[in-house]
Amino acid sequence: MPEAPNPGLHSASAGPSRCHEKSPPERQSGAVGTSPQPPWERYSRQILFAPLGEAGQSELRASHVALVGCGALGSAQAGLLARAGVGCLTIIDRDYVEASNLQRQSLFEEEDARESLPKAVAAARRLHALNSEVEVRAQVADLTPENLSALIGDAAVILDGTDNFETRYLLNDFAVEQRRPWIYGAVVGSQGVTFTVLPEETACLECVFGSQPGGMTESCDTAGVLNWVVQYIAAVQVAECVKLLVGARDALRRTVLSADLWRNDFRQLQPPPRDPDCRVCGRRDFMHLRGERRPHITLCGRDSVQIHEHDRAMDFGQLSQRLAPHGRVRHNAHVLKFWLDASSGGSGLEMTLFPDGRAMIKGTTDPAVARSLYARYIGS
Amino acid sequence: MSIKILIPTPLRPFTGRQEEVEVDGRNVGEALEGLITSHPQLRNHLFTADGKLRSFVNVYLNDEDIRYTGLQQTPVKSSDTLAIIPSIAGGCCCCC
Repeated sequence: MPEAPNPGLHSASAGPSRCHEKSPPERQSGAVGTSPQPPWERYSRQILFAPLGEAGQSELRASHVALVGCGALGSAQAGLLARAGVGCLTIIDRDYVEASNLQRQSLFEEEDARESLPKAVAAARRLHALNSEVEVRAQVADLTPENLSALIGDAAVILDGTDNFETRYLLNDFAVEQRRPWIYGAVVGSQGVTFTVLPEETACLECVFGSQPGGMTESCDTAGVLNWVVQYIAAVQVAECVKLLVGARDALRRTVLSADLWRNDFRQLQPPPRDPDCRVCGRRDFMHLRGERRPHITLCGRDSVQIHEHDRAMDFGQLSQRLAPHGRVRHNAHVLKFWLDASSGGSGLEMTLFPDGRAMIKGTTDPAVARSLYARYIGS
Repeated sequence: MSIKILIPTPLRPFTGRQEEVEVDGRNVGEALEGLITSHPQLRNHLFTADGKLRSFVNVYLNDEDIRYTGLQQTPVKSSDTLAIIPSIAGGCCCCC
């Protein structure tokens, strides 16, 4: 089993991350004696596609893509990009695998859910098995204004696989500031929407949806989501990403794509033009990057609260012993789970703790309950 | 005249799970008014307290953004389709 990069908030290098430099493809079969096939044989059907060709394959191999969120969309994106031979993938996700993910999060297996593996770690394992030539950087972290530059590094394109607007507005600020493309995608029920933000060329997220994040609170938690709409939207995102990586900008789709696969309703909507007074792409005022909208405790789905990283190193072994009198505890290298006993006042409360001190508390939507539980059992 | 409004998944709880609603109106504003008259719970999701369309709700008449065709004053005809495209949060949708 390949060792994934050390999970945690500070696992990224301090400077911009670099993937392997462009190098000519190893096309001479004699050059790699141990390989059963010419190394590029695996991409032969893709290379035959004229707009890509060998030059396009070389570009993909030299490219670095960041995937923010590795749930349903992120899993599908990562699988496609790894199989296509994109040289370096950074996978950023704060969550761990659960049984209810398996219906649509295509990189994960039952064993990952049993182990409560962080999604980024489980994804890295699976992606290595799919294509060992691809460098996968697993980042178990919540994307924040402080860490996103180090986590995303020098990725040429950023793919959206998030499930919340706080992170998307943060990404939008970052991408516009850095003049890097990012590809929005979202799914709920049988419906999905995607569009590509090309800084200084197209409208940005804030031009399209305004400055007020959220509003439509129904998410997949309440409306459900079907795995084929996930694959559909992810495929469209990856198609646009590949076009960007190989420089085929004329082939890019510049519409907002909205599809409802149950109703067979497919629409390509004209996005608004760039708003010259847009806070982000017009005035270049990056409020979310400055962290002005960021709470330290956030509601997280229907029944959970997340306490953002406390930036404290956790000794899971020691902590397990300390928590054992108060409930059931289980841990591995990546995650500690603690089910609080009713006798300790925690009926139905479940805490998942990550090595950097970040925690998710299930069984409550009250930030005060979550905060006091954290302070009592982990530390304030 | 009667036009069709397509209801996106996040708003279907407020239309009795209907995916599309037929309404009467001469322009987009009247059509949307007809929609919230028949389904009053939608009002707060589509409009601000002072009656403006919320910024994260995009309305397209036959795939054209109404912000560039005259907003609520945009005239409609009977074969038209109005699509509401809201911001959707989903993506990985497990517990966060």
